[in-house]
Amino acid sequence: MEPTTGNVYIGGRDLTGLPPYRRDIGMVFQNYALFPHLSVFDNVAYGLKIRKMSKADIARRVEECLAAVRLESFAGRMPHQLSGGQQQRVAIARALAIRPKVLLLDEPLSNLDAKLRKEMQTELRSLQRRIGITTILVTHDQEEALSLSDRIGILGEGELQQLGTPLEVYRRPANRFVAEFIGQVNLIEVKAAADADAPSGTRAFYAEWHRLASGSPLVLHAADHPSLDGKDTALFMLRPERVRLSAEPRDGAANANGAEIRVESVSYAGSTLRIAGVLPGGGELVALAGDPSFPSLPEPGRTMYAHWEPGDLIPLE
Amino acid sequence: MPDSQPIKKYRYHLFSWIMLTPGLIFLGLFLLVPFVLLLVISFRDVDGFMNMLPTYSFAQYVEVFTSKFYVRMIGTTLWVALVTTAICILLAYPAAYLLVRAPGKGVRTMLYVFLVSPLLTSVVIRTFAWIVLLAQNGLVNEVLLKLHLITEPLSLLWNMKAVIIAYVQVMLPFAVLPIATSLGEIDPRLRQASMSLGAGRLRTFFRVTLPLTIPGMMSGAIIVFSLAAGSYITPLLVGGRLQPLLPLAIYQQVLQVANLPLGAAMSMTLLVLVGVLVAVMGWLLRLWEGRMNG
Amino acid sequence: MDNRKEERSPARRRKGRFDVWTTLVWVGGGLVYLFLILPVLVIILSAFSPNAYPEFPPSELSLRWFREVADNAAWMKAIGYSLWLMVLVTLLTVVLGTTAAYGISRLEFPGKQALLSFMLSPLMIPQVVIGIALLYVFTGIGMFGTMAGLVIGHMIVAFPYVIRTVGVSLSNLDPKLERASMSLGAGPVKTFFRVTLPLIKPGIVAGGVFSAVTSFGEVSVSLFVVSPSNMTVPVRIFNYIDQTFDPSVNAISVIFIAVAVIALVIIERTIGLTKVM
Repeated sequence: MEPTTGNVYIGGRDLTGLPPYRRDIGMVFQNYALFPHLSVFDNVAYGLKIRKMSKADIARRVEECLAAVRLESFAGRMPHQLSGGQQQRVAIARALAIRPKVLLLDEPLSNLDAKLRKEMQTELRSLQRRIGITTILVTHDQEEALSLSDRIGILGEGELQQLGTPLEVYRRPANRFVAEFIGQVNLIEVKAAADADAPSGTRAFYAEWHRLASGSPLVLHAADHPSLDGKDTALFMLRPERVRLSAEPRDGAANANGAEIRVESVSYAGSTLRIAGVLPGGGELVALAGDPSFPSLPEPGRTMYAHWEPGDLIPLE
Repeated sequence: MPDSQPIKKYRYHLFSWIMLTPGLIFLGLFLLVPFVLLLVISFRDVDGFMNMLPTYSFAQYVEVFTSKFYVRMIGTTLWVALVTTAICILLAYPAAYLLVRAPGKGVRTMLYVFLVSPLLTSVVIRTFAWIVLLAQNGLVNEVLLKLHLITEPLSLLWNMKAVIIAYVQVMLPFAVLPIATSLGEIDPRLRQASMSLGAGRLRTFFRVTLPLTIPGMMSGAIIVFSLAAGSYITPLLVGGRLQPLLPLAIYQQVLQVANLPLGAAMSMTLLVLVGVLVAVMGWLLRLWEGRMNG
Repeated sequence: MDNRKEERSPARRRKGRFDVWTTLVWVGGGLVYLFLILPVLVIILSAFSPNAYPEFPPSELSLRWFREVADNAAWMKAIGYSLWLMVLVTLLTVVLGTTAAYGISRLEFPGKQALLSFMLSPLMIPQVVIGIALLYVFTGIGMFGTMAGLVIGHMIVAFPYVIRTVGVSLSNLDPKLERASMSLGAGPVKTFFRVTLPLIKPGIVAGGVFSAVTSFGEVSVSLFVVSPSNMTVPVRIFNYIDQTFDPSVNAISVIFIAVAVIALVIIERTIGLTKVM
């Protein structure tokens, strides 16, 4: 692949024009790409033989790397004799053997079944921590990205949408794209409103598309934020797990940050319960509750009451 | 209803056997039986007038293996076949590479046509073309004379070199196709992996690509070798009648000298020689595949 | 990490791309293909040359040799005979080969692999040997020099091609389709004709084309079983080259080449060459 513009630097060294065999990047491919005609030892030693290391040094380095991935006794085996997870580890050992500056993993776990994937995720994390090498992982699996990384970069429409820690990316997404991309989200478009009842430290808004039974708009009191200064309209993100559901309306509830909803669909996943509903005057809302929030699963058509805190409303660009 | 399943299976197998039988009978009658008969007459004696006698002995085989002439002929046949195979394999790689990396379907089809259409013409014609090319007044000499590179026409025909050149041209497609198939089956990411580990293009070819095309290479080698060892038309036309090749000798013994038993014995010898070498190559191939795939 | 965004000229980027070896391979490959096609070109050149010998560069084109062939009764008879033979051989080989390929693919028994190798063996056996074996047998039963003998000889040589191409088609066929057909009540015969046969058409067509072309150009085995009254074109060419130099052979060769190219185009258009190779 050829870059269209810009350069790639690693440790101050410009790699942009270099062919693959001079870049000194350790790469782990999606389908492992182990050489089928070479043993595990020879696979890991491949890059070292190119660099003309002595036999003794090669043997030592290979042993080191195989020990790092906990496959010391597999040196003599052939790739076809290994399981998927084991092949994956050999591929990692092979990439690490050349002591690269950066380790690149291209969707390394997408070919594994769910259980093995979880195991390998933990392994990768502990391995990376142990060795301390800069690692770039490419994945479509959000959970994987959030759980494994120190920093996440989200790419969309050909651009880097946000670069931040998992906490930042999840709790304060930079824009709508990122908010919708990571996890589930309720998006509420609002107009600025004046509301004397708004508690201090919050601002009042009227929702555009979410309306109550009377037809009047849903009122939102969002935690104050400099980005809201001087804005007439805004877009708020509300994570479903911040939406509290109850069977009865709350006592003494303010007329903001809450609404009656009619349950449309219920989805039970064991540890979580996902309830999607509509406000009587229009507008959807999704709530995620932990188990066991309700003695029995709510049924579609039932009326429930949702509410949330001002701090749960996150403004988006 | 539960009964109909086993009955259906039985009828299914019966049907498959019925389908298989005509072809089997045909081959049995016209391939197996003639061979057995050939084997039998290879043990018959002949008298001075080339009539077959009702006695049996190893006489023909003795003649084949003791006569210095025939023994050398066996050696030459195998040697020529080996050289042809080696050259074919060597030339097949660039050709196969082009076929696999052809830019676009049109070019690939054109290359396939170049490769396969010679196979579909008759071997007489392909060989005849070499006569036209290499004759004293043929195209090669004409061009060389016109370019003033030589003063007299070269004698390019009627020798073993011409035979090998013609062999290579006739049998090259049989080597290119399996190697191209093997090349095409290699996971492109292996090449990327090799390069990411620091191996340049050349090293990647010798350490990764080449070993992985061994199945195709061996298949091609087996085909080319058995074809080269068994050809007689080409050496007859291009090499002159005097080339010491076993298939040629068989042709002469049978159609000209009319010594069928000797021809039969030589045929059996040729079969066994080629069979053994092909079996060895096949065994090596299976060894390699076992190592790779388990 | 810095954020420099200097723009370098594209020329610097290309430095690592040019590769001596790749160029060599491309040139080498091209030369190999040229080598492969050279004899065919020469023949075409000769066939259209007005003289008995090919000239390069050609001075003028003429159809003289084609007309000579058309006028020559013996050639035309041989061409007709070869064509008729080809039709017979192709029909018989395709039927026999398809049924045999189907039978062996659907059965499992000890020695199946050996039997398969036996069916493919004519490809590996030197055709000299096949020739003299048939010669002996035919002479013995009085079939020497007959058309039946030639048909049988050609069938033996063409048989493996049909087995191979139909075999490839059969192995690409999802076995569940036949099981589905039978679960709906169709017996094995009906299933074969309604489901299997239509789906292995590519293999059958390819096998038929290979049979036809093989038969048309067969000479190594034919030399042992022809007679003056049953003469095929390739054998005639062989005799001709052996004894005289008649440029009309070039014209006939061009016909052969044309047939081969047409056959390839048919295969490519109907099923695609790559599926059969």
